[in-house]
Amino acid sequence: MRAALVALSLVVAGAACADEAFVTNQTGDDLTVLDLAAGKAVATIPIGGKPAGVAVSADGARVYVTSPEGKSLAVIDAAARKVINRIPLEGGPLGVAIHPSGSPVYVADWYAKHILVVDPATRAVTARVDVGASPSGLAVTPDGATLLSADRDSDQVSFVDLKTLQRVATVPVGQRPFGVTIDRDGRRAYVANVASNDVSVVDIPTRKVVGVVNVGERPYVVGLAAGKAFVSNQYAESVSVFDVSTLQTLATIPVGEYPEGVEASTDQTKIYVANWFSNAVSVIDVATLKVEQTLDVGDGPRAFGAFIRATPAPAKP
Amino acid sequence: MKFQLLAAAAALLVGFAGAAEAHGPTRQKTTQSIEINAAPDKVWTVIGNFQDMSWLPPVEKTEGSGGNDKDATRTLTLKGGATVKEQLTKYDADAKTYAYRITEVDVKVLPVTNYSSHISVKGEGDKSTVTWQGAFYRGFPNNDPPAELSDEAAIKAVSELYQAGLASVKEKVEKGS
Repeated sequence: MRAALVALSLVVAGAACADEAFVTNQTGDDLTVLDLAAGKAVATIPIGGKPAGVAVSADGARVYVTSPEGKSLAVIDAAARKVINRIPLEGGPLGVAIHPSGSPVYVADWYAKHILVVDPATRAVTARVDVGASPSGLAVTPDGATLLSADRDSDQVSFVDLKTLQRVATVPVGQRPFGVTIDRDGRRAYVANVASNDVSVVDIPTRKVVGVVNVGERPYVVGLAAGKAFVSNQYAESVSVFDVSTLQTLATIPVGEYPEGVEASTDQTKIYVANWFSNAVSVIDVATLKVEQTLDVGDGPRAFGAFIRATPAPAKP
Repeated sequence: MKFQLLAAAAALLVGFAGAAEAHGPTRQKTTQSIEINAAPDKVWTVIGNFQDMSWLPPVEKTEGSGGNDKDATRTLTLKGGATVKEQLTKYDADAKTYAYRITEVDVKVLPVTNYSSHISVKGEGDKSTVTWQGAFYRGFPNNDPPAELSDEAAIKAVSELYQAGLASVKEKVEKGS
């Protein structure tokens, strides 16, 4: 008992990357919580409705999960590892993002040409914002001013002003854009184009594509860490890495089958990749660009969105 | 088996499942395997040629080009006349595995879209295991699909096709035909 406590406190004390991952298992209908410092699953939360999209709140307290087949949004207490609310929605809720203030929550309706604005406190859809066809990935700029939507079947990214809830611009990108990722400065967005096998680099202030990077087959989403972009290539079973300044390819890293969701640890030293067919998460070292660990999760992990949170520092007595 | 039964209906070509076309929000998967009482090399001689899918019961004819090189193509003609077009995406004879995609099929023949597949042979001595896995979306790209184009229908059709194919490989190899 004492040994266990000592071991536990050592883990907490040495918490350079005491992150947790919330991985949506679409086939398995649940969510695996991974303790990334310990390198293992610590909880499985039943969700239902084929969960796909995920967004962790900026403070790490809440996790929102979309169920496109169940037409709902699950609200999870991250620390308690429990679903505390289930908000019925419409259509096919897929991509999800949260305003930096914690509310509202934005949900892409895969079957409609709009984004649902959801107030988690009242469980109400407060607005529907018109965008292009099959909106999939969503991301909000760090200042909370703008929402970007990858409109898959319109080959474009929509820019939405979050004050007026109106679309203010569309930027043509590659074919069938799916994931969209904004850098920490809110300066650039990286859009993975499933059908043209490339990534569009979008300058956010000028709303222009400033670069296109060829990657592997069927890119899904881009993760960013320490000046590098990591792109999951579903058919190529690999992660393409490029330098975000030069846009030069640095490496192609073999991972599991059908790699999908990608995100960095909060300290940007690791990249986590959910492999949909392999039921595993690959852990890539950002410095060496090698897979250093593979963690088992549930069936059909997608982890589409922001799925990693820093566990809060223990309260001082 | 739908692949076989519905082949006759293939004259009603209504639409093709091309690469990366519109699809539902939930990709499906199935993995089927079978143990065969034969050496892996012997099993590979039956299934290792992308240009010959005669081991799959509904297939009457395989025509194609590019041999076993990446991007090789084949057209399967099924009993009843329906066709399925496929493309080889990976081929590794040493590891005894290859992967391919359907580039064109009517959902009335196989109720799936955006289909990709892997097949591999592993084993030692006189025992082999063939594993066949597929990833695909249901035949209906929009919400609230009809029963025959649902997720369940897609999984059932592909799983049964694989089971029939693997049973046929086992029979061919073990009989030495």
